[in-house]
Amino acid sequence: MLDRASTFADPTIVSLLQTKFVPVAIDQFYQRQQKDAEGDFYRRIASQGPRKNVNGTTQGLYIATAEGKLLAFNNNRGPERIRRLLEQSLKDIQQVSVTPIEPGAADPRFARTPPQGGLVVRVTAKVLGGYEEADDQWQQIFQSALARDNLWIRKDEHEALVRGELLDSLKRRIAQFHLIDNTRGEPPLWDAADIRKLDLKLDGGKLTGTVQLETKSGDRGYHADLFGFVETNNGRVVRLDLVAKGMFWGDGTYTRGAPKGRFPLAVAFTLATGEDEADRVPPQGTKGWLPSYIR
Amino acid sequence: MTLSLWSLMMLIPSGLTVDEFETLHAQLQPAEDEAWRTIPWKVSLVEAQAAAARERKPIFIWAMDGHPLGCT
Repeated sequence: MLDRASTFADPTIVSLLQTKFVPVAIDQFYQRQQKDAEGDFYRRIASQGPRKNVNGTTQGLYIATAEGKLLAFNNNRGPERIRRLLEQSLKDIQQVSVTPIEPGAADPRFARTPPQGGLVVRVTAKVLGGYEEADDQWQQIFQSALARDNLWIRKDEHEALVRGELLDSLKRRIAQFHLIDNTRGEPPLWDAADIRKLDLKLDGGKLTGTVQLETKSGDRGYHADLFGFVETNNGRVVRLDLVAKGMFWGDGTYTRGAPKGRFPLAVAFTLATGEDEADRVPPQGTKGWLPSYIR
Repeated sequence: MTLSLWSLMMLIPSGLTVDEFETLHAQLQPAEDEAWRTIPWKVSLVEAQAAAARERKPIFIWAMDGHPLGCT
């Protein structure tokens, strides 16, 4: 969130990345552990930086050659520094012929691909109010942030939607993994037992319902209404728009700084077109253990 | 009795109207012209390496805890 609104909002940086570099965005939790071509190449680059221990986070901004030689690393925010590093890297790089790496088989422990015959749905979340006024630039960015994730729908769930049915597995996945406040970083998800009430119906193409989510200790929760539409054509879902709106409370280890008390949070769902590279990003809920997400 | 009804109303979500749904759904769509979205991000490092080799460009890696195009 912070980088999007600062470093990657800088016109010079944007122009350089559009024209002079090949930009790639990754959750390094995967690459630093993957035993495959993707992971090998990442570790080769990351191990030349200051964060050589791939058992812990290696997050940061890396500039490297296609051979895997690190040209620059930075993990501090601020467009000026990144601009300098980009410009210096273009001076330092020596053009040599490099062979593309064969992708090979992906490490199955971390491989994430959308279910065949299923659907990818974009999910966005926004805190609608409740923050105290902030002078700090970074706090202001968090407070106005729009978070993004993807929901995966299985083939059988897709087929059920076409028949006008909403399977319990899909309802549960929406509630447990996507009705979350991920606007300030990686969020805590809900345990199955945190779903206190889940009443979501599909009737005549209209989705309506309510949900009550709350941790055992009561330190975090979300009570919301849901409303949306599903449309089909030729045996496929062509529209799946849904909104949840309600009151959220609490935060997590990496999402500190939530508004005090209960605050309004909205979550929106809309069918992915596949035209945005971000449509390929696996759901945050698959991190760690895919079967618990997709079951 | 009035107080009890009021308390109950505060506890039970009021439901979303079609207008609220449409407004919120539009409000929660990312703007197409946001600067960071105009950068042609890839999500595979091997694909980026192949493009860098082909186009003779350096690779810029945005590596975060959590996916940078998602929640980070």
